[in-house]
Amino acid sequence: MYGGGNTFEGIKTDSLAQEDPQKLAAFEARIARGEKIEPTDWMPQLYRKQLIRMIEQHAHSEIIGALPEGTWITRAPGFKRKMALMAKVQDEVGHAQLLYSAAETLGKSREEMINDLISGRSKYSNVFNYPTFTWADCCFISWLVDAGAIVNQLANAKGSYGPYCRALDRICAEESFHLKYGHHCVIYLASGTPHQREMFQEALNRWWTPMMHFFGPSDKISAHTEILMRWKVKMGTNDEMRNQFLDMYVPKIWELGFTIPDPALKKDPATGKWAYTEPDWEEFKRVINGDGPCNKERLAVRRVAEERGRWVREALKSPKMNYVTPLA
Amino acid sequence: MKSLDPRVQRLPEELPPLQPKAPLDQFGSFEVFVQPKEGKPFQHEGIVHAPSLELAFVLAKEAFTRRFTCTSLYVTDTRNVMVSPTTEGNQNAYDLIPSVTEHQGGEPFEVYHLMKRGKQHLHAGTVEANSHEEAFSKAKAAFGSKQVFNVWVVRRSDIRFTRPEEQDLWLTLPEKKFRDASDYKGGDKLKEFLERQSSKS
Ligand SMILES: [Fe+2]
Ligand SMILES: [Fe+2]
Ligand SMILES: [Fe+2]
Repeated sequence: MYGGGNTFEGIKTDSLAQEDPQKLAAFEARIARGEKIEPTDWMPQLYRKQLIRMIEQHAHSEIIGALPEGTWITRAPGFKRKMALMAKVQDEVGHAQLLYSAAETLGKSREEMINDLISGRSKYSNVFNYPTFTWADCCFISWLVDAGAIVNQLANAKGSYGPYCRALDRICAEESFHLKYGHHCVIYLASGTPHQREMFQEALNRWWTPMMHFFGPSDKISAHTEILMRWKVKMGTNDEMRNQFLDMYVPKIWELGFTIPDPALKKDPATGKWAYTEPDWEEFKRVINGDGPCNKERLAVRRVAEERGRWVREALKSPKMNYVTPLA
Repeated sequence: MKSLDPRVQRLPEELPPLQPKAPLDQFGSFEVFVQPKEGKPFQHEGIVHAPSLELAFVLAKEAFTRRFTCTSLYVTDTRNVMVSPTTEGNQNAYDLIPSVTEHQGGEPFEVYHLMKRGKQHLHAGTVEANSHEEAFSKAKAAFGSKQVFNVWVVRRSDIRFTRPEEQDLWLTLPEKKFRDASDYKGGDKLKEFLERQSSKS
């Protein structure tokens, strides 16, 4: 899963100055025609850099996103929920594998990406730096964070880079189970005892701000992304994606009789746009820069897993094998 | 560190020093091809990293056929795939492949085409050749009339195929329904809940 709140590198106005104008024009024309870019095609450096960054952040988010939900596998209520949650977490780690491979076709090796994750140099979705206190928090992630991820992933699957789109097609197919499972869990809490309802209401209160953050800073304050949209790296602005999410899921949350902790939240029937209170963007910045409730433990778990697996990787290594950039 | 995560409780008191991963830590690269249904051509699905061809096969099964229908799968070392230039528009990739003097016989090579940009490479057929260059040349003679954007050839003996006795890899248990969206019908429960709510008010 993944938020659109990815951080792109600042685009300098002279970023394209060194590119061959003819090749650049052909590249842009191909994207405008709706054709995909393949790994061996010519592409501007900026396109390569931003794509690596985005796909890599997406892959890291799948890996780290497996942690807050994975915590609940042993405590999920009943055998069936445990099996389903285990299958879901396995899928998320599988998504990371597919995404790392797609990013590798652009020339960054998997070792480098994992190094950058555990050293804190690369980012991942902010939402996973919050704790899952109760089973209801876990259900919130399975249903609504995955729903947000699906909104982003379906949009990105129409992007311009072939290997990323192909990975996303597979991922989206698997996500349909996550979404249904998550909704099912929440319906059970909603129609259960008053205490179960209260548990989910509290989870909703805790997660609403991170959920609003999930799609990234408001268009009013986020860096300009025109060129990324033209190149179909980014398929919608942060506010557009957030609006799409609200439009699809707020009615479903209300239907279950829960209260979303934002009195300003309402849809303007004339424009189809949702009005809401801007979440605290200072908190977003703080958490993405490492100072959230769980940043340290998430990275520590990853780092120790790397260390503990090192001897296995070393024992298996063969001098005949060679890392090469994958083909497609 | 105080946390709800049992994994965090198991962390050492002090974290190990941060060691960058050694190069090749993620092993070699292998290309994965999957046959989604009986009678369909094999298609390229992606890659895995593995320390050997045999383990690549096992990991590919897990990564690419865990949740999708599959009748057969094979893998080959990325270095064994010979790749043509990629074309666009009306240009046929075969037009950029030089014809070489062909000899009789040889061993089988598998040929793959990119029929549409953005899609997977599909298995097109087999040619007998004595080298990758000759395989390209013979593929051009056999399939070159079709417009394709990219061609791959792989020597058959470099491929790890699914063996007939391994077909049962994909016989999944019927009780694995819990991984299907169709197994989560919350509709009745939801309706019942909504009716209860409206009768209360
Ligand atoms: Fe995912
Ligand atoms: Fe997810
Ligand atoms: Fe998911």
